[in-house]
Amino acid sequence: MADWQIWLLVLACGAGTYLWRALGVAFSGRLRTDSEGFAWLTCVAYAMLAGLVVRIVVLPVGILAASALADRLFACALALVIFFLGRRNLLMGVAMGFLTFIALTYLRTIHS
Amino acid sequence: MKPARLPTAAFQAGARDAFGVPSAVLGAGYIGFGALALDSGFSIWLALLSTATIWALPGQLALVELHTLGASVLAIIPAVMLTSARFLPMTMVLMPIIRDRRHTNFRLYAAVHLVAMMGWAAAMKRCPELPLPQRLPYFLGFALVNWCACLACTALGFALSGSLPYLVKLGLVFLNPVYFILILSADLRQRLMILALAGGALAGPLIHLVTPQWSVLLGGFVGGTVAYCAYRLIRHHG
Repeated sequence: MADWQIWLLVLACGAGTYLWRALGVAFSGRLRTDSEGFAWLTCVAYAMLAGLVVRIVVLPVGILAASALADRLFACALALVIFFLGRRNLLMGVAMGFLTFIALTYLRTIHS
Repeated sequence: MKPARLPTAAFQAGARDAFGVPSAVLGAGYIGFGALALDSGFSIWLALLSTATIWALPGQLALVELHTLGASVLAIIPAVMLTSARFLPMTMVLMPIIRDRRHTNFRLYAAVHLVAMMGWAAAMKRCPELPLPQRLPYFLGFALVNWCACLACTALGFALSGSLPYLVKLGLVFLNPVYFILILSADLRQRLMILALAGGALAGPLIHLVTPQWSVLLGGFVGGTVAYCAYRLIRHHG
């Protein structure tokens, strides 16, 4: 792929992503926060986020696919436990997930 | 401390809220992205352009990874767009909360470019408690700090790539899903939200097994609709 083609590709991906955000503004004109349609759409928005995030952990593509499912799940579980034990301290939870995941993945490489 | 009254104060409050942990965690993910971009043959300017214009880590990772695999442009653009489809319902839900009649359309269309998971979740949580004129400035303050921090971190990751061990890169990419699991589960108070998150968490990966490209769109649609119907059933019969 020539240099200018990659630049165009990145710009096209940016424009394509922005299109969703712009359409969101355009379509929201008559939406009221106290309507049933709004409640349903909020469900869809949160479900999309949850689906994407859980999919990245359970069925990753790319660099994460090389790690073990059990390691990813265990690191997430431990991050959640520490997060709630630590009175919802995000930094502690995230640090725990990061370190657990790295440690488990490292242990696998030296045992194989 | 005085309560935030003026829009500029709301902008600063948003910026302050974003400055600590949210930007640090999101930035860590972007260090991972910057490092990955170098490995995939992207130039630093190309990596920065993708952060500035796409501004969605899952989409950017899909772009870099598919490009490394040698996928065609006709495959990459739809793949990136489909992972970003979540921005449509997210923006639609955010708009009625932050829109003030005095805002020009131009301001709104410019502001929504910054809609991404982190800023959206913060605005959905904080903005309903704020007076209407302060909501958009709060969101902008929060999202702009995120955006700038992530541009800096993309460059940092690119510069560090050679000296970062593979394991650390892996851990940095893993940070983002962990963070989002934590902030999504921290908000599990309303029954509707619990149902929606559970529905999406089940439907997303299951549909991914059948059709990876459409998993975000279909999973959210199916999971969200089932959750909404279940909520109505419980409300009427429970």
